[in-house]
Amino acid sequence: MTAAVDATARGLREILATLTGRGELLALPAGTPLFGEAVALDSLTGTLLLREIQRRFGVDVAAEDLNLDALATLGTLAEFVAARRARAG
Amino acid sequence: MPAPAARLMPLQPASPGQVLPAPPVVDLWWFDARAEIVRPADAAVLAAGERHRAKTLLSALGRHRFEVAHVMLRRVLAGYLAAAPGELRFGRQRCPRCGRGQGRPVLLPGPRPAPFFSLAHSGDLVLIAVAGRPLGADLEQDPAGCVCPVTEVLHPADAAGLARLAEPDRHRAVIGCWVRAEAVLKCTGEGIGHGLSGLRAGPAGPIRRVRGCSVRSLAAPPGYQAALALAGQGGVTGRPMAARPGPG
Repeated sequence: MTAAVDATARGLREILATLTGRGELLALPAGTPLFGEAVALDSLTGTLLLREIQRRFGVDVAAEDLNLDALATLGTLAEFVAARRARAG
Repeated sequence: MPAPAARLMPLQPASPGQVLPAPPVVDLWWFDARAEIVRPADAAVLAAGERHRAKTLLSALGRHRFEVAHVMLRRVLAGYLAAAPGELRFGRQRCPRCGRGQGRPVLLPGPRPAPFFSLAHSGDLVLIAVAGRPLGADLEQDPAGCVCPVTEVLHPADAAGLARLAEPDRHRAVIGCWVRAEAVLKCTGEGIGHGLSGLRAGPAGPIRRVRGCSVRSLAAPPGYQAALALAGQGGVTGRPMAARPGPG
């Protein structure tokens, strides 16, 4: 993981922990599926996550990744967001 | 004052031979995970995939809620099919919008016509809705914080109505609108990835017809909001069930 992706992943963990009120998500491994059972995001929390990512990182994941493949795991989401931020300069 | 609470189900023995209601009635089964104990023998009805999913949950509370929801789903449906809960097999239809395999969860064909069902769980509560035609139920706990960003993905008319409300009343109204939209999506079998902005489900309240479904808000226990959608334009009525299914 590059430093930028690592920092983005830390930010995403903070957002997830805040949205869900679950402190254990601050230690979430990068390979964890977001909508799988470990995190078990529901669609409402997933929507709030995407809006918060847009607010904090300036990346509209839903608009740029129509199939939402970036949401597969914490790591794929962090890579997607970090790459879009780098491209935007 | 909160809306009158829907009655949670008291402990009752098994109820085999449950008869599907005639439309527009939908059977509603409510469970409170705090009142349930899932013993290993209870969890044994789960399929290997379900047990694996439960094991991968991070917290014991999450595992418990998952097991309650899925054990009760099997018990409820088994009552309509006069089958053993462990015999049921589940699959997913394809999304009618994109053809991907993330559409409506269904019972796989067996010797008897399978009922349609919708499972929703949030916080400690589980809602299982059962009918003879496609349906969708959604349940959400009242928000602990601001959920105003959700309005950005709702139908513009619904979002405009919500914007006129002051916080924190708006937060509860957002969830009231969200559960109706989710119930419609579950009813049509479309994935949420296709968005909600084209779907005007309306604020919490009476029946609205949208996307070939009838959707209404339900009386949920305090701290929760729920909605129910049934395929067709003929309305929808929830019927809280008086018996709680046993291990079968």
